[in-house]
Amino acid sequence: MKISVREAGEAKIVEVEGDVDLGTSPELRSTLFAALREVRKLGLNLAGIRYIDSSGIATLLEVLKDSQRMNKDFFLFGLTPAVERVFRLTHVIRIFRVFADEHEAMESA
Amino acid sequence: MPPIRAGLHLKLVMPSDPRYLPVVRGAICPLAAAMGWDESDCQAITMAMDEALANIIRHAYHGRTDGVIELECRESADGLEFTLWDHGDPPDKSKICARQVGCSQPGGLGTHIIKDVMDAVSYQALPGGNRFLAVKRLPRKI
Repeated sequence: MKISVREAGEAKIVEVEGDVDLGTSPELRSTLFAALREVRKLGLNLAGIRYIDSSGIATLLEVLKDSQRMNKDFFLFGLTPAVERVFRLTHVIRIFRVFADEHEAMESA
Repeated sequence: MPPIRAGLHLKLVMPSDPRYLPVVRGAICPLAAAMGWDESDCQAITMAMDEALANIIRHAYHGRTDGVIELECRESADGLEFTLWDHGDPPDKSKICARQVGCSQPGGLGTHIIKDVMDAVSYQALPGGNRFLAVKRLPRKI
């Protein structure tokens, strides 16, 4: 799994590539929590994710909860059909703010 | 007498280390495809078994990486049977599918995925270890 963080206006965007599973989700978790502390808007680009398991989804739920507690905005975009299927399988798709791409996310966020 | 057909029987022994999860996923997905499931089902079956393995690593071995997990995939007349054996703590049945579906609670998603994907699932603590059994049947051809 590869993770990078970049700035996009007043937001930070976290880019992830590869598999997010029990072995790799702790790194994603610490990156997202660190980025969330620094900005009011945090986006996660899921377009490069080949696989995400329930520990990855749980990580995103934790970050979402923390963002709500801090009155910050955490949003997702770039869900591939395979990743979207996991979100639907875990019944969490409606819990997140999900956009088709970064442009749509930045317009709405 | 009907001819005896040799079905596939795959056995894999792995340490309880998450580094090996991609290896198992890499074996199960093409196996399911060879059996006749479509891409979407193959991904779902792979994920369900990945979740079952991750649960053993987290809950039976509590993150220890030196435990042993045995995985068996056996072709049956109408699908695949998966068996996982471990020698960690027995499964806490009160926590299986205890999470409310659709809520924002982070934990407890894995057992719901397994239940939704597989046709039959059982968790047993036996004298020889903990046994997880899952059956996935091929859709019937109309």
